[in-house]
Amino acid sequence: MIELIRKKLLLRRCRNGELPESVCRYLHRVDEPFRAQAPIEAARFVIFDTETTGFDFKSDRIISIGAVSMRGSVIGVADSFEALLRQEVTSERDAVTVHGLLRRDTDSGLDERDAAYRFLDYLGNAVIVAHHADFDIAMINQVLARHFGIRLFNEALDTASFAKRLEKGPYYNLAHKSGEYRLDNLCERYGIRLYDRHTAPGDSYLTAQLFQRLLAVGRKAGIDTVGKLLLK
Amino acid sequence: MNNATPSNTIVERVASDLGKYPPFDRLPEQRIRQVAQSLFVEYHEEGEMLFRKGEQLGRFSYMVMKGAVRLFDTIDGEEVLVDLCDEGDLFGVRAIFGTSDYLLSAQVVEESLLFAIPVETIRELSLSEPSVAAFLTGEIAKSVQNIEHSLSEAFDLRRGALEPSELTLRCLLDNEPLVVDQVREVITCPPHIVIREAARIMSENNIGSIIVVSENRHPLGIITDTDLRKKVVAVAGQVNERPVSEIMTSPVYTITAGKTVADMTMLMVRTKLRHFCITEDGTPDSPVSGIISEHDIVTSEGVNPAVLMKSIMQSESVEQLGAERDKAEKLLQMYIAQEVSIHFVLNIFSELNDAVIVKAIEFALAGMKAEGMKRPDVEFCWLSLGSEGRKEQLLRTDQDNAILYADPPPERREEVQRYFLELGKRVCDTLVACGFTKCPADIMASNPQWCQPLGGWMNYFRKWIQTPEPKALMHSTIFFDFRPVYGSTPLAMEMKRQILKEVEQGRGFLQFFAKNALQNPPPLGFFRNFLVEKSREHAHEFDIKARAMMPLSDASRVLVYEQKIGDFLSTTERFRRLGPLISGFEELAAEAVDAYEFLILLKTKHGLANSSSGRYINPEGLNKIERQTLRNVFSTIGKVQNMLNLRFQLDYIRD
Repeated sequence: MIELIRKKLLLRRCRNGELPESVCRYLHRVDEPFRAQAPIEAARFVIFDTETTGFDFKSDRIISIGAVSMRGSVIGVADSFEALLRQEVTSERDAVTVHGLLRRDTDSGLDERDAAYRFLDYLGNAVIVAHHADFDIAMINQVLARHFGIRLFNEALDTASFAKRLEKGPYYNLAHKSGEYRLDNLCERYGIRLYDRHTAPGDSYLTAQLFQRLLAVGRKAGIDTVGKLLLK
Repeated sequence: MNNATPSNTIVERVASDLGKYPPFDRLPEQRIRQVAQSLFVEYHEEGEMLFRKGEQLGRFSYMVMKGAVRLFDTIDGEEVLVDLCDEGDLFGVRAIFGTSDYLLSAQVVEESLLFAIPVETIRELSLSEPSVAAFLTGEIAKSVQNIEHSLSEAFDLRRGALEPSELTLRCLLDNEPLVVDQVREVITCPPHIVIREAARIMSENNIGSIIVVSENRHPLGIITDTDLRKKVVAVAGQVNERPVSEIMTSPVYTITAGKTVADMTMLMVRTKLRHFCITEDGTPDSPVSGIISEHDIVTSEGVNPAVLMKSIMQSESVEQLGAERDKAEKLLQMYIAQEVSIHFVLNIFSELNDAVIVKAIEFALAGMKAEGMKRPDVEFCWLSLGSEGRKEQLLRTDQDNAILYADPPPERREEVQRYFLELGKRVCDTLVACGFTKCPADIMASNPQWCQPLGGWMNYFRKWIQTPEPKALMHSTIFFDFRPVYGSTPLAMEMKRQILKEVEQGRGFLQFFAKNALQNPPPLGFFRNFLVEKSREHAHEFDIKARAMMPLSDASRVLVYEQKIGDFLSTTERFRRLGPLISGFEELAAEAVDAYEFLILLKTKHGLANSSSGRYINPEGLNKIERQTLRNVFSTIGKVQNMLNLRFQLDYIRD
């Protein structure tokens, strides 16, 4: 309910011309009503990943976003997305060793605002899918809040939780064995060849392949609509 | 959706996967990227249908990136396999130019990652790139040929006028397992009737067993002739009037219908049971629908290892022995066709071959005795060498054998050797008559050089071990695989013990031995361009023995001698034994076992189909699964050789 009011307030700001065009286009698209009965095969998913300067979403910044889309269970290579961001905050040494992006790489990147416009245009009202989605969504939300005072309104699914739900049922406590659901381990378990690991587009392509396999497992368990997939 | 530029990283990733395989491998990078950008990545599970015969052509052609897809035709409701596509194969190409419907159906056989390439993309590409157009024309022509070929084969089979042996060969090619005929009208009885009554039913129906069932016909137990003999007749007192439930064997071993001869033979060996009850769902909790007894299994094909073994042992002439060994070949065909575990097949055949040798020796000894030749009072042992020594001889190839006897007193040396040499000659001749050809290098017990007392043999081994010379070593490896087949096993064990002692003392020998094992590096870059032999006779063929099997058997031999394992083992047994002994080797050893078993299978299949040793293989004749497995086998061989190289620090040895 609060969500709905928030969306309506934002759309009013659009009508008053207080928000950029891209942002408003996005807000209109996510305003379409959620259709739980829609078959999964007709839904558009955007599988995305971010690389950041660190793991604190208050002080750290996104330095790259990669994404690929799926229509149902089919990955469309053409409908993919990649952006490098220029940031003032430098990466912690640890993070550099993970994603391998140095300052001089990101200097040639987009400014955060432009990257956000492009990403929102690309995203539209797709269902967001990401591995450990909470973190990536929170990072994007920080950007959106900082520049436009909005956040993401898309439906979202975390592949780690989805895998857990399919393998162990909904009430399994993930906390003490979280390692089993790391992207590397899941890829290995589902026979997906690892490459381009720890680049945002590379990880998103891997996550998409994982999602394909999870959807196939889910289909056998009767998960065939978006509503069943998102437990709504 | 939007028209923004797609992710470079992802397009490049997809392009580099796509660019590995024809026709894309010849294209400039920019072209490959264009194709990559237009395609869709699909994941399909085992069993899914991609398209069906008669359906309208779709909008995509597919390339398999992982997994396998089978293309099949349907004739009179029967499926005929036309092609099996694996990694890098393009299918559904009719959709590009065709105007009709699909001629074949495509079904995923193992979970697959496919690139769905829009037909417009390929059509445009073939207009601008002649190499792509040529490739596609070839693919389409090939697929039509494949269809015709499979059809004619299917019709041949249906005509049904084939000889039984030819039929087994067909099975070999078509992988159509022979199913054991079950007895369908099963005679049963309820558990409360008395034993006498059950015996009466059995004798009236002339059957050897009766199944005891519950009211809803679920099997409770079984009573056989043996039960009646052991539990009734042989027991004192009025047992006859007791209910059958007291003597029945329970529970019955239940299975589902449709088991092959191979399945049943394996089951019989494993469970040591002789009757199997067929129920609707294979458990004791569903109604009985049939019964299979040992007799049904044995008579299904007329050949059975136990029966064969018996007739070999009871052969009364060389001719009969040869005929029995011929029968074994049929058994082999059947086993290979039914994909019986190669481990099991090897065991059975080394037993059968050994039995033939034992019989040949018995014939010779008896013949010599009849002719008045006196057997010297000296222990002897018949040795099999090389692959037969490693229990790996499935097809009848060259003989490699020798005689070892205890050191006689010096004054009787000549007399003793004369006797054993005569024995050797007679046995080798008998083996030739049974289809084992002579060894071209004359390494046979009929050669005085290889019919020696322990002292003589140890002189040979000492020379090989103390002054290892590459060439001599290469020719001597088959001797290191000796195995006792007849006579005094302790004598052979004593020789092994002395050899191991020499190896331990002979510095540098193991290095040379190991270096010899690396003589044949496996072909590495192998896909669609096989490394073939250069010699004229076998040009365009691949020497599977020298290039794939020997590297593994050589490596295992070096390692068992290094680990001082005295037992007489096969290559796979060696790797199994070595796995836990050498730290970090377990996984690779298991891989090597699989690789070696696959190679034996491939060589045997090929040999049976071509009536040859199977050693030289034409890569074009391999199916895709075989090609792909072979590729993995080569990588295993590479790893094993690497391990040997490190372990014996061979990089430091120079020729």
